[in-house]
Amino acid sequence: MKHRVAAIILGTAALVAPALAQPSPSPLPLPSPVEKQLAARAANVTEVTLGKGMLDFAARFMDNNDKDQVAVKQLIEGLDGIYVRDYEFDKEGEYSMDQLEQLRQAFGTPEWTPMVHEHESKSGESTDVMMKMINGEPQGIFVLDAEPKELTIVLILGPIRLDQLSELKGLSGLGGLGGLGALGDAAKDKPGKDKASKDKTDDKAKKEGTQ
Amino acid sequence: MNRHFWIPIGVAALCVLLTAPWWVVRAAGGGGGFDGVVNSIESRYHQRAMRIPFMGLASVVAGAATHGGVDCVRVAEFEHFSAPVDGEELNRMVEERLGQGWERMIRETSRHGGEQTLIFSHPDGKRMGLFIVDLDGAELNVVQVSVDADRLNETIIKYKHHDHDDEHTSE
Repeated sequence: MKHRVAAIILGTAALVAPALAQPSPSPLPLPSPVEKQLAARAANVTEVTLGKGMLDFAARFMDNNDKDQVAVKQLIEGLDGIYVRDYEFDKEGEYSMDQLEQLRQAFGTPEWTPMVHEHESKSGESTDVMMKMINGEPQGIFVLDAEPKELTIVLILGPIRLDQLSELKGLSGLGGLGGLGALGDAAKDKPGKDKASKDKTDDKAKKEGTQ
Repeated sequence: MNRHFWIPIGVAALCVLLTAPWWVVRAAGGGGGFDGVVNSIESRYHQRAMRIPFMGLASVVAGAATHGGVDCVRVAEFEHFSAPVDGEELNRMVEERLGQGWERMIRETSRHGGEQTLIFSHPDGKRMGLFIVDLDGAELNVVQVSVDADRLNETIIKYKHHDHDDEHTSE
């Protein structure tokens, strides 16, 4: 009887252990099929995927005596991940509007609020900025910047303060992340929450106007 | 006479038997980790890596100098790397050889320029393993290193202070 109980316990442990041993799933998305298609056509591809572990690791190198570095440290310590994709193409027309739409649709859930949707028909450039809002607090930002020969995707997950984003200017090597600094600067001009909500309403109005 | 003849033959046969698995794995470009990746690159692109002499000693010195901040340094260098490289294939090969636990952090690939960069990370308690494959023109480098951020940072800060002190004394 004892042997049977031991065998059952061991058997159950053997079944459960691998499931427990698996790391918790990363909040960062797996590359979508669209991204693979884009990567296959691009002349230059840059992919940056920094999970929470890596961000915490990077934060430990920040100098606590340097004001700027402390600000960056505070910003990245709370984040769950940074995800950047940059595709450069040899010629125009290497990606389709359908592919852009598929990338946008991945963030078409109610918790993602469109903040900016800009499209210049003359140059063919478009910019989308979406914010993940949970209980009124920004918990993520998604930027999709499309130029005729370049496509940039930036996804930052975790609590974000727009006024702190300008600190990411120093990370200009990380594709479109540097560009987010401008967004942070804009937020710094006005109190964070007011600005964010104003942008949101402005852009919703703009979007409704264009439809 | 007979015994003198059979002893060396027996020793040689034993050596062959003991090292056979290693040769089989190597011939197949197999194995995991740093050696697995380097062997795979060697067999796939028909290039020969130059292992840096006394790298083990250098790694120990680096570990001691940084108080364990940097450890387990391994470097393989391919000079005159002329084979065309498909970024997707290289990435897949490195991922397969590194195995589980390694996550790709950065990938930069250029279709025309022969430039490929892959950086993988492997959190291991307080330490972080970093694995870098970098192809720049005709030179491909493979580097593996284990870093303890806190200890390395302490060393960096220490040297920063030394620099500042030196600047002040020279003024």
